[in-house]
Amino acid sequence: MNRLWTVLSGLGFAVAAMMPWVTFALNDGNYPAKSTLQFFDAPFLLTGFRLHLLVIGLLVVLFTFLPLPGRPRILRAAGWAGGLISLVNGAYITFKGGGLGAITAADGKVAFAAFVGVAAGALLIWSGAKAAPGIEFSWPERPSRWLAYLALLVSFAGLLLFVAAILTSGGGITNPYSAGQFMSFLAMAAGLIAALGATGVLRWIGELSEQHRYFSLLVMLGCALGLPFTSAGNEYWMTVAVNIGVYAATAIGLNIVVGLAGLLDLGYVAFMGIGAFVAANLSGAAAAAFDIHLPFIFAAIAAALVAGVFGAIVGSPTLRVRGDYLAIVTMAFGEIFVRSSQNNIGGLTGGSNAIPGIPPLELFGTGFQESISIGGYKLAGGVLYYVLIVLLVALVMGVFANLKDSRIGRAWIAIREDEDAARAMGIQTGRAKILAFLIGATLAGLAGAVFAHKTSSVSYESFRFTESVTLLAAVILGGMGTIPGAVLGASLLFVLPETLREFQDYRLMLFGLALVLIMRFRPQGLVADRHRRAELTTVDDPVEVAAR
Amino acid sequence: MSAPVLCASEVSMVFGGLVALDSVSLELHSGQIVGLIGPNGAGKTTFFNCLTGLYVPTKGRVELSGSVLPKDPAKVTVAGIARTFQNIRLFPSMTALENVLVGRHIRTKQGPLSTLLHGPSFRHGERAARSRAQELLAFVGLSTVHDELARNLPYGDQRRLEIARALATEPTVLLLDEPTAGMNPQETEATRQLIFAIRDTGVSVVVIEHDTKFIFSLCDRVSVLVQGRLLVQGSPEEVRGDPRVIEAYLGKPPEEVAEIVEEAENE
Ligand SMILES: Nc1ncnc2c1ncn2[C@@H]1O[C@H](COP(=O)(O)OP(=O)(O)OP(=O)(O)O)[C@@H](O)[C@H]1O
Ligand SMILES: [Mg+2]
Repeated sequence: MNRLWTVLSGLGFAVAAMMPWVTFALNDGNYPAKSTLQFFDAPFLLTGFRLHLLVIGLLVVLFTFLPLPGRPRILRAAGWAGGLISLVNGAYITFKGGGLGAITAADGKVAFAAFVGVAAGALLIWSGAKAAPGIEFSWPERPSRWLAYLALLVSFAGLLLFVAAILTSGGGITNPYSAGQFMSFLAMAAGLIAALGATGVLRWIGELSEQHRYFSLLVMLGCALGLPFTSAGNEYWMTVAVNIGVYAATAIGLNIVVGLAGLLDLGYVAFMGIGAFVAANLSGAAAAAFDIHLPFIFAAIAAALVAGVFGAIVGSPTLRVRGDYLAIVTMAFGEIFVRSSQNNIGGLTGGSNAIPGIPPLELFGTGFQESISIGGYKLAGGVLYYVLIVLLVALVMGVFANLKDSRIGRAWIAIREDEDAARAMGIQTGRAKILAFLIGATLAGLAGAVFAHKTSSVSYESFRFTESVTLLAAVILGGMGTIPGAVLGASLLFVLPETLREFQDYRLMLFGLALVLIMRFRPQGLVADRHRRAELTTVDDPVEVAAR
Repeated sequence: MSAPVLCASEVSMVFGGLVALDSVSLELHSGQIVGLIGPNGAGKTTFFNCLTGLYVPTKGRVELSGSVLPKDPAKVTVAGIARTFQNIRLFPSMTALENVLVGRHIRTKQGPLSTLLHGPSFRHGERAARSRAQELLAFVGLSTVHDELARNLPYGDQRRLEIARALATEPTVLLLDEPTAGMNPQETEATRQLIFAIRDTGVSVVVIEHDTKFIFSLCDRVSVLVQGRLLVQGSPEEVRGDPRVIEAYLGKPPEEVAEIVEEAENE
């Protein structure tokens, strides 16, 4: 009986995919090139999100009869994906078309596809949960080395294509519907990931990559360096990717302080700012305070060191204050940094004029912003910056991973968990906390140095309280204490603004909403730490709670 | 007899107007198990806190193997006193193994640089620490659950894990604060055997417990603390037969207990 409902909702998606979505051409430009009508209206023209919806619908019908492992969760994920795709597009058309008439009936045209899709989604979320569980299946725990390598290669390559697809899904800034398409694609991607998670394959890959750490690091690096060769390999996305990389590296650094040592830092972006200003002043820019032009590598080291010193200084109050008070101290530090750089104290920051004209990086006479060609294949401009940032993120990841599973990392986690007990174990908590601040700040300073050269102008405006909060949000949203979490969080929080330009005014509201929803339904973050995951799943399991 | 490993002399602790400890002295000799009993609020845990540097005693001194203990709990642990807590204080979202590894912190050396480089000496140290931690888990009977999160362990296992974590610091003196609280008789017996085994490895032990039967069958000497004062001190037989202990311990109202203590002093 339940199968009837799931099949019906699958068919509902398919029907919605073929129905018209909009009652009139949205006013975005000349027909046909820029008209929405064709894209949303042409019957049986199944492209973009309508294709996704159709595929999801057909798969749902198929899965109803295939005894897949984790079937109820897969069906529910499909329900969320289809429902959200419909909701996003419906909302988008309503927003653009200026009212519900755009997705219902107007001017003799009828379009109810969005409603059908949302209804099918809701039906599937409800009925999918009650679907019979499929066969039991467990992924091999310790597969042979070659099988593991193959699985890792395939999944990371898949991840690369997936990322490229997500990035380019909006068709770039020239496409007037990019925001809608992007969000719709994101809904599909989320459903896909949730469905894969339900089969247990994601956890399996995660375990494999932990067993073969160096191999997966290598493959990941290779895949990341492969991005310029995909559809996302144009200058625009290279720039976006570099920005993401800068914030991802910083977020990983912050993750040491917040995620591992449990110290709430609300002024963290100041360290990135310090790094950026140090690098800017040593770059030979006309507006720099010093008339020296250090090679980038030395400027970067200087930036990291200075930021690290400030990190240790800011960290020292942690010896006295805890919790909320520490958050206030760090916030105050961030504010001091912003104010003093705004007022150009010491002549080091250019004040409100910023420090412009920082020269782009160069390697053997090739500017990093220029496009290069490898073996006849022409790569977009900014690729070298992208390569640099990939290497930097890899370095920061390595630092984080090496620290986390070590004597020092365990001491930090112990402090986070119970500071008194940690002291009773002989841990010098004060020193350990300052070390966390120092290392975190060093990494942020390093990222700041790259940031300075990439953006060519450094202003205090890039390092305000909002940026600190966004970074913190990236860490929490992605998952505290995990590397992929910090990267994912940074990508989401710093890519979404790019793709959602159209919604400037609503952007922050959408962020806030997303954060609230995630914290409500997935408090451990998108990519949960092994520890926190276990902690939260057992709490959710009533049998275990009762047994205790 | 040789000099005591742990010697607390006339330790007093005053919180505001409350005298939690009033000139309490205790000697612990090498290879001994000493019991500390007394009604609720007698000051037993406070005494442990004074021994471990968590509290700085208002008066009195504590010496470990002849040298005065530092005032910082971390340094006390380095000097050789390890403890467990009455209200279990494990690191809840770390695994059992990781909890014990935290205990190894002060006996391992890897600094930031060697950690970042992950060189051979780092990995060697890490391997050694892990295998020592596994041994300790096996010693307390927890080797099968090394990968469980501490918070998910049953109560009894958590208490034993806390002991393993304390032992990982390689103490000369181990302080156990109510190690069998909340345990069933089988678990209590296992804990008794475990404490004997710990003593046999050369660690001297002080145990706080309410279960007098447990204490009398375990300890070489027993001290009774009532309202911050040492009431009786002696072998289990002496203490068990002492009428003041029986009265104090049978849950008399505080005024009567105070009278008993005063009588004892007047004698
Ligand atoms: N930090 C503190 N500040 C104020 N009073 C305290 C503090 N710690 C303990 N006390 C008081 O000291 C007295 C002794 O407490 P303690 O915890 O040492 O008793 P105990 O013998 O361990 O009792 P129990 O058997 O219940 O564990 C109690 O009255 C308690 O309220
Ligand atoms: Mg107590």
